[in-house]
Amino acid sequence: MNPGGRAVAVDFVEDEFEEIGYPETLPTYSPHMDESAAARRRLGKGKPEGVEEKVWYDDEDDYKAPSLRSISGGRPAQPALPPPTTLHEFIFQNMPSIPPLVYTLLACYTRFHRIGLSATVVWDEAHFGKFASHYLKREFYFDVHPPLGKMLVGLAGLLSGYNGGFDFKSGADYPPEVPYVAMRVMLATFGVGMVPLGWFTAIELGMSQWAAHLVALMVLFDVGWLCISRFILLDSMLLFFTFLTVFCLSKFHNQQSHPFDFDWWTWLAMTGISIGLVTSVKMVGLFVTALVGIYTLQDLWDKFGDLHLTPKEQAKHWGARVLCLIIVPILVFMATFKIHFMILNHSGPGDAQMSSLFQANLYGNDFHNNPLEIAIGSKVTIKNMAFGGGLLHSHVQTYPTGSNQQQVTCYHYKDENNEFWFWPGWDQKDTVWDPKYGPHDPNDEEVRFLKHLDVVRLVHVPTTRNIHSHTIPAPVTKANWEISGYGNATIGDVQDHWVVEVLGDVVRGDVNRYLEPKSATVDPRARIHALTTRLRFRHQVLGCYLSAGRTSLPQWGFKQIEVSCAKEEAGSKPAEGSIWNVESHWNTRLPPAARSLSRSPFLTDFIHLNIAMMTSNNALVPDPDKEDLLASKPWEWPFLSVGLRMCGWGDAQIKYYLMGNPIIWWGGSISLIIAAFVSVGLVVRRQRYGGGRGTRKPAPNSLNGDSGRNGAALAPRPGDGLTQREWAQFWHVTRIAGGGWILHYLPFLIMGRVTYIHHYLPTLYFAVLMFAHLLDYFVFQVPSTASASLQVVPTSSVSLSDLNSIPKIIRTFRSLPRMTRIKVYVFTITVSAIFGTFWWFRAVAWGIEGPVRDTWGLAWRENWNIYH
Amino acid sequence: MAGTGKLRQRAPVSARANFEYDRIQEEEHTDDVYQNPNNRHPIEKILETDKASVVVVAVLTALAFALRFYKINHPDQVVFDEVHFGKFASYYILGEYYFDVHPPFAKLLFGLAGWFSGFDGHFQFENIGDSYTQNHVPYVGMRALPAILGSLTVPVVYAIMKQSGYSTVIAAFSAAIILFDNAHIAQSRLILLDATLIFFMSLTIYAYVRFQKLRYREFTSEWFGWLFATGIFMACTWGSKVNGVLTVATVGVAVLIDLWGILDYKKSPSMDYFWKHFAARAIGLIVVPFIIYLSFFWVHFALLPTSGTGDSFMSPAFQETLAGNEMLLSAQEIRYYDTVTIRHKDTKVYLHSHVERYPLKYDDGRISSQGQQVTGYGHADENNNWQIIPTKALPETGRGRIVRHNDMIQLLHVNTDTVLLTHDVASPLMPTNQEFTTWPRDDTSRFNETLFQLSLTDAHDGEAWKSKSGYFRLIHGQTRVSMWTHTKQLPEWAFRQQEINGNKNPSEKTATWFVEDIVADETGEDPKERTGHQPPKVPKKMNFFRKFGELQLLMLQHNAGLTASHPYASGPLNWPFLIAGISFWTENDPQKQIYLIGNLVGWWTCVVALSIYVGILGADLLARRRNNDPIPEPVRNRLWNSTGFFFVVWAVHYAPFFLMNRQLFIHHYLASHLASALIAGAVLQFILSETINYPISVEAPTMRRHKRQYVDIGLKGPIIFVLFCIAMFSMFVFLAPLTYGTPGLTGDQVNGKRLLSSWTLHFAAKKTAEVVP
Repeated sequence: MNPGGRAVAVDFVEDEFEEIGYPETLPTYSPHMDESAAARRRLGKGKPEGVEEKVWYDDEDDYKAPSLRSISGGRPAQPALPPPTTLHEFIFQNMPSIPPLVYTLLACYTRFHRIGLSATVVWDEAHFGKFASHYLKREFYFDVHPPLGKMLVGLAGLLSGYNGGFDFKSGADYPPEVPYVAMRVMLATFGVGMVPLGWFTAIELGMSQWAAHLVALMVLFDVGWLCISRFILLDSMLLFFTFLTVFCLSKFHNQQSHPFDFDWWTWLAMTGISIGLVTSVKMVGLFVTALVGIYTLQDLWDKFGDLHLTPKEQAKHWGARVLCLIIVPILVFMATFKIHFMILNHSGPGDAQMSSLFQANLYGNDFHNNPLEIAIGSKVTIKNMAFGGGLLHSHVQTYPTGSNQQQVTCYHYKDENNEFWFWPGWDQKDTVWDPKYGPHDPNDEEVRFLKHLDVVRLVHVPTTRNIHSHTIPAPVTKANWEISGYGNATIGDVQDHWVVEVLGDVVRGDVNRYLEPKSATVDPRARIHALTTRLRFRHQVLGCYLSAGRTSLPQWGFKQIEVSCAKEEAGSKPAEGSIWNVESHWNTRLPPAARSLSRSPFLTDFIHLNIAMMTSNNALVPDPDKEDLLASKPWEWPFLSVGLRMCGWGDAQIKYYLMGNPIIWWGGSISLIIAAFVSVGLVVRRQRYGGGRGTRKPAPNSLNGDSGRNGAALAPRPGDGLTQREWAQFWHVTRIAGGGWILHYLPFLIMGRVTYIHHYLPTLYFAVLMFAHLLDYFVFQVPSTASASLQVVPTSSVSLSDLNSIPKIIRTFRSLPRMTRIKVYVFTITVSAIFGTFWWFRAVAWGIEGPVRDTWGLAWRENWNIYH
Repeated sequence: MAGTGKLRQRAPVSARANFEYDRIQEEEHTDDVYQNPNNRHPIEKILETDKASVVVVAVLTALAFALRFYKINHPDQVVFDEVHFGKFASYYILGEYYFDVHPPFAKLLFGLAGWFSGFDGHFQFENIGDSYTQNHVPYVGMRALPAILGSLTVPVVYAIMKQSGYSTVIAAFSAAIILFDNAHIAQSRLILLDATLIFFMSLTIYAYVRFQKLRYREFTSEWFGWLFATGIFMACTWGSKVNGVLTVATVGVAVLIDLWGILDYKKSPSMDYFWKHFAARAIGLIVVPFIIYLSFFWVHFALLPTSGTGDSFMSPAFQETLAGNEMLLSAQEIRYYDTVTIRHKDTKVYLHSHVERYPLKYDDGRISSQGQQVTGYGHADENNNWQIIPTKALPETGRGRIVRHNDMIQLLHVNTDTVLLTHDVASPLMPTNQEFTTWPRDDTSRFNETLFQLSLTDAHDGEAWKSKSGYFRLIHGQTRVSMWTHTKQLPEWAFRQQEINGNKNPSEKTATWFVEDIVADETGEDPKERTGHQPPKVPKKMNFFRKFGELQLLMLQHNAGLTASHPYASGPLNWPFLIAGISFWTENDPQKQIYLIGNLVGWWTCVVALSIYVGILGADLLARRRNNDPIPEPVRNRLWNSTGFFFVVWAVHYAPFFLMNRQLFIHHYLASHLASALIAGAVLQFILSETINYPISVEAPTMRRHKRQYVDIGLKGPIIFVLFCIAMFSMFVFLAPLTYGTPGLTGDQVNGKRLLSSWTLHFAAKKTAEVVP
């Protein structure tokens, strides 16, 4: 038994165990001060196979005892320091806080420097600035992204005194009353925050100080991250919260040895909150959520196999994750929408995306003044009641397939093409159009209110075409019949007849109970009300129902939603997509009805808006007929094959070019490839030679010798050359960095929507972590074989230049062990390369003034369209 | 370890049984696991004899032949994809080159079958429904080939299960799922590639199982024999259809898992041992299959020496190897001042211009240059003539006047005496692309905008430009756009001709053009004779590997390009549940139709079996994670290793379809369905009995003899089998009119056969009235 009282993994050979020790037993242990004199890579190589003497071999190696969980990667536990008694002690204890502080200050410089240089609306500021205006004016708008990021933009506007009056036309000059500099500065603060987060994440991941410096410097000096943080965009927030999530996760990982402690709960909850925040900025946040999810599943799988945990503890572990990583993020996400709805209580451009009831409750909306009861001759707009449903729409363009008649679609914006008349069927007396009756004033007629099972025609107001269906398959959903606009005011046939079916009323319940089929008069209570009555339109001849799904038409239908006639099995529940309500209603012969309507419940609005967002996001597919010069393909990103012009390229304009720091991007991508090979190599080595440093004990007897295949003797077991701790550290960081990268990259390859280079920016973070991690693994964490005295010297002090004693520093440097000097060389070269390229390309993020030709040497790759 | 209680001590997890582990088993479980074979149920003892096995397999095979050959001459019309594969067979007989996305092995077999049965290749299989009897096509002989292979699949399935250690009844159960399956039968009775694919795929599984059973006798001749057999069958599978590559992937996955085990330091004494294993598999499963695969193509090229429908897919160099190819016959070098007609490679329109001008203002409000229209026109016309004007000094005569790769040229529209020009004005239909127009020849003010660079495809420096064979892109000198066209028509003002515009993508593949004909040379005479009398041209030679490489690449590209929608295409998720089938063929008069759909009983049994299997594995994983050991080791070994292999077969033949964007059909699932039938057998065995035939691998002579155990499922096995067969057969008979396409069905009968509402059968009795749209 080991001192901790825990079962020891059997493949831990005694001397190795003493040499490494657990964090619990040797609290001052830290990875870059590894005292193990034998450098790991020197073992296991060197000696050729078979020469090695026969060794004792343990068969149980494969069985990973769960108690091994205490050996995991990440930052080793640090002993709590005694309170400082002298100033010197205080300074010494707080030394580790100095680098992040310095980097933060540097980040402030790079992010804020000349931030207001371009006084024009740059790139997507046109969108996000406009959304901020909507928040300030409290007008309801619609966008594919969740609201948190845009609300923060709005907040920045509010704090800087912006009144919301500017319309953010792309490329327009900012008028003096728009405090765009202040807004940019506030949002760039998130960009500043990325740098210390990078530093602390590296530390929490258990990287050496060297690697942490590298991570911070790379975050600081990447021109892509820099450039995107300096404008009124969501990306700086997205990046900040992505970084924050990874940081919280690493922090939580390091609390593993003390489950259910205060810190453990704190960081678990913080991870959950952070997930909620990142997802509320952009849906891309789901990728980092997936990383946390996979990490958690693996963690729980380990816990599940830990036989020392009681069922109660197991349940507690599971419950804690469900609470903090599922429920909390969802609550955060929903809370942002709640606030969104609370702020945007005025009618605005996004109204038509929402249900009629929601719109009716917005200030400035006139629905409640419309006439209440629908009659023949009413002009209406008709809204689909399914989640994310739009308005029935038609336009002069025709179907290129099928009948080639006029298109009928579902549309999400207000437009006069959404207006329809309810006219009677061709066989009924037509009060306006039928020449048989001669010209006369329809006002002379008695008002005929619509009721259940009435037969009507739906006539498109601008084109006078009738909504029509026939036995031709719909353009996309081939199983349904096509719906088209056919004929005009005088031409038509029975295929234009629709039977109105009333399903009920949202407010008044089942209104059909008031119907008296035999009586000639209609009970007023059975009439159809605008906004609230749920209707269906059945084709009189075909028996199918007017329906809208979520399928978009191709480009020829302007990506609008397909409307088709859905066949329905008798007796089945009405499909959501076939239920409609009347939204706007005009009828000069009827009085306006002033009425107040109850609010639609928050949850309904929430689901409705999210489905609408999803639907329009899916419609953002690249158009094969159009060449989008800004779009790029995912495989062009890792090696920075493309850049993106963020604004006009005139000589007088300030020009910004979205690209990355080539050294960081290339280095990150190359290190990902190397990491893949190294991981495979290490896993193969473990399979071949077993884990650990190998065994040096001779075999006590040859009893096991015949248990291999063919009865041949077993090979000696040199191991993979890594200690358990080194292996765990390598694996922990590799899975976070590599897994995060894959999760942030592969989805873009699979999904069909149009992609831009800034989609790679969150992904880049994981490449950067991998870059630092590999250097850490190959260089910085290789123990320097030296006396203990040298290891006390903080490694960073070597680069500090003490002006008075330069010769002494050189002398000290020369006397350092070889490995330490290599570290200094590698570090210096990498940092200078990163800083050098940053300085070279700084203008693309800080703004290129004057003719672009004057800034020389920027087009390192053929496809960078900086010059032409 | 208080928590473990009476549970069995966890044994070390090892991928495969070894002595070490067997010793433990012997100590602990000798009594309850290993039993005397004579204690089994008498039925079991009878059925397990070789004689009984032969009888069962003979009956199954006979039934398979009967069901697949029944009325094989019906319909005597071209059905579904016979349109393609029948045509390809006739091309082999005629020797005309064709292009297809699938490798040639199965089609070669059809060619052979056609040749054997006396088909002369004259019939072209143009349309579904064309009559064979009227055209005297020996189609029964050609259909017999897949029917034979499809029938033989049944005994192979039986053999796979038998070799994997299942009892006769279980093996027959798996075979029956294939035997009575309507989808397999419908697919095997027609001139389609799938029967060949499935047959060789099942043989590959069989050979690999045999190979694995010999793993303790590594490097013996038997071991090598089955290794090479696996490779050969695998190559045949891959050679039959593109999907066969999934079989290759399956074997690849299985071999990787196997090698991973051998790599384990506990299993192999030295790396040499590992490398020996590695090399054997590399030769047997990579080198040999690849050579065979290549040989299919070698035969393919050898059999198709003359020009045919496939020419236009291939590169000019390839086309010149085909006898009678137009390009070979009439390709001529082009000289300056020649008048030529230029055609777009993909849409086949001529570069055309006429005196009409672009309207100043388009409908969407954009403004044009109001220059002369340049359009794409589909028909021969005087206005298609363009003369090539040099931009450099030319020698008086000789080869210096030939137009070459990368030359800067002007194109003169002969009828209007204007030169082609493009400039930074948006084209009529696409605001992102540049407008093409012309400019008077004598007005040199815009000379620089009329210069175009001639860029020949895959050309070397100084290569001569040839008519027909010289594919080229025309790149504007100043703005670097390529002359391009697309199928969208211009409005009435341009007589609905095709738009021609400048595409800004420098590497756009569809911006390729060629010179159709040299109309006149400088003097206005027909240039055909200027090089003197030409001897008849002989097809050129081309290296086989270059031909192979080019064809492979094209096959890949076209396979990925098959994205057009098809009314009977269905998503992979629908397949195992038989949500939708494919209508192969219909005949109006007696209301006959062939509808590809599987046997509902069989397929849903397979789905249930798959879910049970996944459930068992999941439960076992969870239990072992908690140190419980619910399944006896021999059974678990079988479930994970043998059935696991079938599961890999199933998954690898199924999962990739979820990632594909091309059109997918239910018959793509047939290979996976076969694998799921194997799993269904294994699951039935697991449910019926805890006993198992174990071990089944051939032991090495030096090994200690294992204690054995024997499967005993007693009487309930045969009973369940018989009941299942009755259910399968009833469902089969019920659906048979849709499978065989006969007899004809009334509308109500069709409605009755429509077991799932998603099946789109023809001639269903309509519930709603038929109305004119």
